[in-house]
Amino acid sequence: MRVESRFKQVLALLLVFALVAAMAVGCAQPDEPDEPDTDEVEVPTIDFRAAMVTDVGGLGDRTFNDGTYEGLLWAERELGIEIRALESNEIADYEPNIDQLAAAGFDVIFTVGFLMTDTTAAKAPEYPDIVFGGIDQFLEDPGPNEVGLLFKEHEAAYLAGVLAGLVTLDQDFDERVNDQNTIAFIGGMDIPPVERFEVGFIAGAKSVNPDVEILVLYAGSFDDQARGRELALSAIDQGADVVFGVAGLSGLGSITAAQERGALFIGVDVDQYLTVEGSGDVMLTSAIKRLDVAVFETIKSAVEGTFVGGQNRVFGLAEDGVGLAPFHDFDDAVTQEMRDAIEEARQGVLDGTVVVPETRDEL
Amino acid sequence: MLADILAPDLFASAIRMATPLALAAIGGTICERSGVVNIALEGMMLFGAFMGVIGAMFTGSAWFGVLTALVAGMSLALVHAFASVTLRTDQVVSGTAINILATGLTGFLMEVIFGHPGTTDSVARLRPVFSINGPTEGMLGTVWRWIDLVALSHTPLVYLAIILAIGGHWALFNTRWGLRLRALGEHPRAADTVGISVVRGRYSAVLTSGALAGLAGANLTLEQVGSFTEGMTNARGFIALAANIFGRWTPGGSYGASLLFGFADALQIKLQLFREVIRVPSQFFLMVPYVLTVIVLAGVVGRAVAPAAIGKPYVKG
Repeated sequence: MRVESRFKQVLALLLVFALVAAMAVGCAQPDEPDEPDTDEVEVPTIDFRAAMVTDVGGLGDRTFNDGTYEGLLWAERELGIEIRALESNEIADYEPNIDQLAAAGFDVIFTVGFLMTDTTAAKAPEYPDIVFGGIDQFLEDPGPNEVGLLFKEHEAAYLAGVLAGLVTLDQDFDERVNDQNTIAFIGGMDIPPVERFEVGFIAGAKSVNPDVEILVLYAGSFDDQARGRELALSAIDQGADVVFGVAGLSGLGSITAAQERGALFIGVDVDQYLTVEGSGDVMLTSAIKRLDVAVFETIKSAVEGTFVGGQNRVFGLAEDGVGLAPFHDFDDAVTQEMRDAIEEARQGVLDGTVVVPETRDEL
Repeated sequence: MLADILAPDLFASAIRMATPLALAAIGGTICERSGVVNIALEGMMLFGAFMGVIGAMFTGSAWFGVLTALVAGMSLALVHAFASVTLRTDQVVSGTAINILATGLTGFLMEVIFGHPGTTDSVARLRPVFSINGPTEGMLGTVWRWIDLVALSHTPLVYLAIILAIGGHWALFNTRWGLRLRALGEHPRAADTVGISVVRGRYSAVLTSGALAGLAGANLTLEQVGSFTEGMTNARGFIALAANIFGRWTPGGSYGASLLFGFADALQIKLQLFREVIRVPSQFFLMVPYVLTVIVLAGVVGRAVAPAAIGKPYVKG
């Protein structure tokens, strides 16, 4: 009997500790990155609160969730609002996280990621006074407080594909380029936004290099670095010299693989040259989605009372919603020819002469 | 195409992916042979992976990181041993608590130390043990490529796992240590009667499993990727537990089962490279390891018999 109660005490203590630690993480708000905005005029804080619920990749993925958070930080700086990010450790956390934010009186809630589409549709009608922004979500029949924020990932990927298709042909570009004419795409999960990246990349590469072989690999998750590395190693061993990684945290492992085996890498969502420290030696460019723009504009319209819900907004090249990041360390290596080809593709997409496929069926 | 699939890099990849599973599975074997269930391998691996990065970061030495990973795994194992051996709690409950604790603790420490969630900074990794330049031309070159990639391209803990599998297997069935360990799990009362301390024996077995699970974590962070990501073990600890059962609670069997899981995973990656030829959705490939596992478990392996006293706290007298 005595042993039993002692056990219960110890177990209770253990569990409390575990819960406190888990909560401390769940509710943690990352520090704002260092920014030289000390001279800026202090923006008066207003009583307006915006928040995001991350998908399972969570903050610190240096791609998708972090890109969204940038938009919140931007709104905090410029509009003086209060912001918050809640992390989802698993899919079952989506709804409770939204309920928590709603109970805490948030005015705008972003649900981040395609996987949260159904959650947004289910929860938004419950809270008609809260604006819901669904990132990467095409909302069927969105209510007046809902907006789907989508990106033409395939257009950014198309430009990345043009670059990769030309680089893999040019052995003078870099010593890591081989004669196999093979490039690779590494995806996290096979969901529509990632498929758009894949398909656009393939179309872009084939448009300038019809014979190029494109290896397509999926990790099955966005948070398994070790597997991301194995996938990239396998593709590089198969002859790929440019790897396009669209895999969140799994993609960080792919960057490691590119560094150890000697291949070039194209990042995703944000300028990964800036977000992944020490990746400059392989980071050719990144196919970026201006998640921050979509988030900031939505918050701004809600603050100013000009928010128009009931629609899906699509950000493409024409809206400056997607594009290529700078070449950074490869700026000298990228030839004028390559720049011209990318510019030509860009113009083609803008004036409609190039129609980039969105799905595998269209490819 | 078959020759392209069954290439040396497939087997090298299988061995790499088997290693974290094998280290943890051998730890699980030793723990469970002593009569203590250890479903906390996942948490110990995760904590080891994290502390390995911390150790390597503060000292600049990957080897010191391995040491801190080992100690980190043991520290959680000590909690498990105290709860399950001394306090005689339900071992599954204690293991679950440790798994939850490890998830919370690593995320919390990441905030404290790095100031942001997600991923830690990168640290130095352990280099491959051998670096030999062999022939590259002709028949000899092909043979050398096989030897080099499959047998010689690996990092230290990969070889350690193999040594532990062989050495541990032999020791379990041929030494006094092995006999005592098995006695603890089969009939602790008998062991007690002949003067073997059940408490001490089980403590050391649980601690050993923690050390090995910590090393499994170190393999992930300090040999494979060079940084820590929250939740990066991705249920490898549970797969290791399955490998231990599948390997019939023997170190050799544990390694073999891990190798099978690793091979299945490497194979599905390899198959994905041939999507042009095998035209199926990518989810199909991701399914391959699990299907293979079910087939093997259902067809090849017979009944696995667990140690008789597993999960039962021992009350002296």
